Amino acid sequence: MTKYVIRRLLQAIPVVIGITIVTYALMLAAPGGPAQKFANNPRMTPAAKEKFLKAWGLREPIPVQYGRWMGLLNPDEDGIAAFLGPSGWPNFLPTGISGADNGILHGDFGYSIDSGEPVGSRIARAALPTVILAGFALFFWLLIAILMGVFAAIKRYSFFDQAATVFAYVGFAMPTFWLGLMLIFLFGVNLKWLPVSGMTETRLSPPFGSDAYWTYFGTTPLTALQDIGKHLILPVVTLVVVNIAGDSRFVRASMLETLGQDYVRTAKAKGLPNRVVYFRHALRNALLPVVTNIGLEIPFLFTGAIVTESIFSWPGIGKLTIDGIRNFDYTILMGVLMITSTIVVMANLLADIAYAFVDPRIKY
Amino acid sequence: MAQVPGPAALPVNPGASGPDEGGATDYEVNLKSLTQFELVWRKFRRHRLAMVGLGLLITMFAAAIVGPIFLPFTVDDIPDAATKAYEGLPPFCTNYLATSLPHTCASYGLTHPFGTTGGLQWDVFTLVLNGARTSLLIGFSSMAIGVVLGTIVGAIAGYIGGFLDNVLMRIVDVMLSLPLLFVILVVSRFFKDQRDNVWQIILIFGVFSWMGVSRLVRSLFLSIREREFVEAARAVGVRDRRIIFRHILPNALSPIVVAASLIVAGNIIGEAFISFLGFGVNPYTPTWGNILSNSLTYLLVGNWWWPAFPGLAIIVTVLAVNFVGDGLRDAFDPRTRA
Repeated sequence: MTKYVIRRLLQAIPVVIGITIVTYALMLAAPGGPAQKFANNPRMTPAAKEKFLKAWGLREPIPVQYGRWMGLLNPDEDGIAAFLGPSGWPNFLPTGISGADNGILHGDFGYSIDSGEPVGSRIARAALPTVILAGFALFFWLLIAILMGVFAAIKRYSFFDQAATVFAYVGFAMPTFWLGLMLIFLFGVNLKWLPVSGMTETRLSPPFGSDAYWTYFGTTPLTALQDIGKHLILPVVTLVVVNIAGDSRFVRASMLETLGQDYVRTAKAKGLPNRVVYFRHALRNALLPVVTNIGLEIPFLFTGAIVTESIFSWPGIGKLTIDGIRNFDYTILMGVLMITSTIVVMANLLADIAYAFVDPRIKY
Repeated sequence: MAQVPGPAALPVNPGASGPDEGGATDYEVNLKSLTQFELVWRKFRRHRLAMVGLGLLITMFAAAIVGPIFLPFTVDDIPDAATKAYEGLPPFCTNYLATSLPHTCASYGLTHPFGTTGGLQWDVFTLVLNGARTSLLIGFSSMAIGVVLGTIVGAIAGYIGGFLDNVLMRIVDVMLSLPLLFVILVVSRFFKDQRDNVWQIILIFGVFSWMGVSRLVRSLFLSIREREFVEAARAVGVRDRRIIFRHILPNALSPIVVAASLIVAGNIIGEAFISFLGFGVNPYTPTWGNILSNSLTYLLVGNWWWPAFPGLAIIVTVLAVNFVGDGLRDAFDPRTRA
């Protein structure tokens, strides 16, 4: 088991390195480069552009740029000496040893080209709303998907099962953003029950995440929570409806397979009540493949929220990315790509390990 | 009549046994083996949902190709300046009461079955049909690119194996770890030409949809290349290229076709999304995503029909594609019987 975990960890390393290379190459290949955002600015002289490129280190050779971004090279030194950090140890070692603090190996993603803010803190600020949204969505999505799948499997070919099938097909075919639009129209514009965009009521509170907001939150926490809750309903519903479609089918298939097993028949033959047979004997085993599936889906909940966030102007990672794309903010985009894809790799790893862990029949 | 023992694997076509020729007792039973295509089609026909899906798809394609020719107006001209209102007309409404606020419909007719847009009063039905052209073109062409790329990569990785297989599969791992929607958005914003860019969008979606197929094809090749018939072919000296294309690939075809249907569905939705955000197809080319994108401002004044119908068109198309995919999966499955 330990050997398996170590082997999987080692396999993940080249993938993460590959991700850094692809991310960097993508940004490098883009025509115009980071100076693109000045392309239509008449006051940008060639000299000023040159100065901008020099200041951002974009006139260095490409391997040097990549090395500095990764944290392999010390930006204050040239030539072979750049491999050593300020303290004389190799630059890529942790800050405590090498004294270096540049590059993503040291947790430094650089500065936003657009706003000048450190990328790390900008992403951290956007992460909280995304985690709130994704967390609520995940909770309801799993709850409903599992319940729907289980009941559809127990009452196979019943009206409920067939309705769930139709729902799954339609939900699977429905574009998330279109569902969001329709919900906005119905509950926001027509019935005027719920707010249609943002995370807080802008007339009542400062923008979410700012210091002023936390002061406001401290004084009237109940009102603030209620406000966020109201804004959460539509995006969460959108995410849940679209995502339970596939998962409820998955749970149903897995549950059907388990219900056909001998130990379920034994449990029934013993005269156990149905509730115990279904939820204690069958469901626990049926959820094993579901666990893996969820592990693989969680990262896409975060990146998939890009769609929902942009519809509802939710101030999270998705909106940060869209704004970054609009403004040619290369550093932000590289940071987001790196972090989200590393989360995907980690989640895949955890899903594999968790599966080996929860199912004792699997031997490695 | 004596039964000549035929090869058990060959299905006997009962209707195809020919008439006795010359009246003499003929010991030859006409064993007509069905081609793979006929076998699949026989099973596919029984799958009711799949046939509905196929019918819908054919209708969609026909409407997309010939529809815009017969429509009374194109997306470029303003059909009815007389009913010019800020808001569009709801479905089946022909004009608003002149004096009422909020507007109430004065008369109904078949002129605008999906209503008209706010502002320029375009017919939404025309828009959706025109959008179908581009959206279907993008969905299916990018699928073709992705499937061809994925099959080539998967075949190389699975057939040759070794170091090359390792490298290719790590590349696939990396590509699958990237949040593809982000990457597609970035690429289409940073790389594409702002004018006529439908083919560029096709290329972008094609280049980012091959990974799943290549994994699938690799695993199929890994198992099929060990089978006896491939060994036999190799033993009689058949060349690698012929083994790949004539012996292994036809046996791997069915899962590929099913995977392709999923790609079409994903790419149609994906295209709609990036166009909706304004990073996709040039906003003056109608696609379902662009129509949705343009409808945003008028959603807040209550013109629900403008975004509703292109969205329904997407749902119907994706549903149809999925039904066909399901039908194909069942039809290709040798365990189900026709």
